[in-house]
Amino acid sequence: MTTPDLDALAALTRDYAAFQARKSGLATALAGLTVLISFCVAVYPNLIGLDLLQRPALEGFLVLPFLWLALKTFLVRQLYRGIGIVEAAPDPAYQRRLAFWLLGLALLLLACLAAALYGFVSGFFTAAKPALHPLPPGHPLDHPWAFLIWVPMLYLAPVPWAIRGVEEARAYLVLVSQCLLWLIPLFLFSFGALPSPLPLPKAAYVLGPLAFLTLLGGILVWGALALIRGWKEHREYLAILRSLPRVQEG
Amino acid sequence: MPQPKPDLHAILDLDRTVHEPARLAILTVLSAAESVEFLFLQRVTGLSKGNLSSHTQKLEAAGYLETLKAFKGRIPATSFRITEDGRAALRAYHQQLRALLPKEGKP
Repeated sequence: MTTPDLDALAALTRDYAAFQARKSGLATALAGLTVLISFCVAVYPNLIGLDLLQRPALEGFLVLPFLWLALKTFLVRQLYRGIGIVEAAPDPAYQRRLAFWLLGLALLLLACLAAALYGFVSGFFTAAKPALHPLPPGHPLDHPWAFLIWVPMLYLAPVPWAIRGVEEARAYLVLVSQCLLWLIPLFLFSFGALPSPLPLPKAAYVLGPLAFLTLLGGILVWGALALIRGWKEHREYLAILRSLPRVQEG
Repeated sequence: MPQPKPDLHAILDLDRTVHEPARLAILTVLSAAESVEFLFLQRVTGLSKGNLSSHTQKLEAAGYLETLKAFKGRIPATSFRITEDGRAALRAYHQQLRALLPKEGKP
């Protein structure tokens, strides 16, 4: 066995271990697909000027990140552990990068929560029952506005045990951001006090939707790239399987 | 110009536990991860179950790896981890071999 052979053997082991430590392959592609599909579903009724998406449907979007986490865990276990478990060597630099992304997610959620609470305190939002798309009493989604306080906590809860790598943290962050973006119009139309007690500068009417569309555009681009990246990772895994030698008999 | 004689002592000093190709492959794989399951080790080295067991036992006896036994549900799962001695032996083997091999461009 020559040195390049040994190097290749070590590289193959590291690549395989990476799939169990941080790479998600098709699960990353699934996150991209989820982002693209949910964008189309959410935007369709608005773009053709019919109506805002019904509140239950938008609130249903809130569970998408959890659904992806569950599917991701299932896919990774089913697809990338076929030839045994290999625990990757610890990489402190990578762990620091992951912590940075998770901190970003936590800060985003806390910032949204702080902004929503400030909206209620300042009178920009009203805690009265939303007049838009009212739900019948007793409907499972007919919760008070304060449920939004729990949203950040719910999104942060599975992070310590469900997110394994930077790519997954990024996918989860994008999925959560998309949910929050769709919640903003729902929130504005449902709880916005009319007439607004706070005078808004004219620029806000231009810059607000512009920022919203820019963020949506960024999320869409990420979704498309994640589809490609996830598929590429999956092909890398297939290449690992193809490069394995035949096992001796006996 | 007289040719330098090969250092026979250096060749004979090679660690024979590591020098055997299958064991060298096993240690190389283990050195690239924290722990490795039996099935992966078998697939990546291409060894039969019996051969792999025999080589891992020799490496364990030399103190170069440790065996980790666990259960996945009701199915027993055996994993291996390289020890510090194993890592040092592999490193030393690479250095010895590099010193023995002819330099680039020289016969």
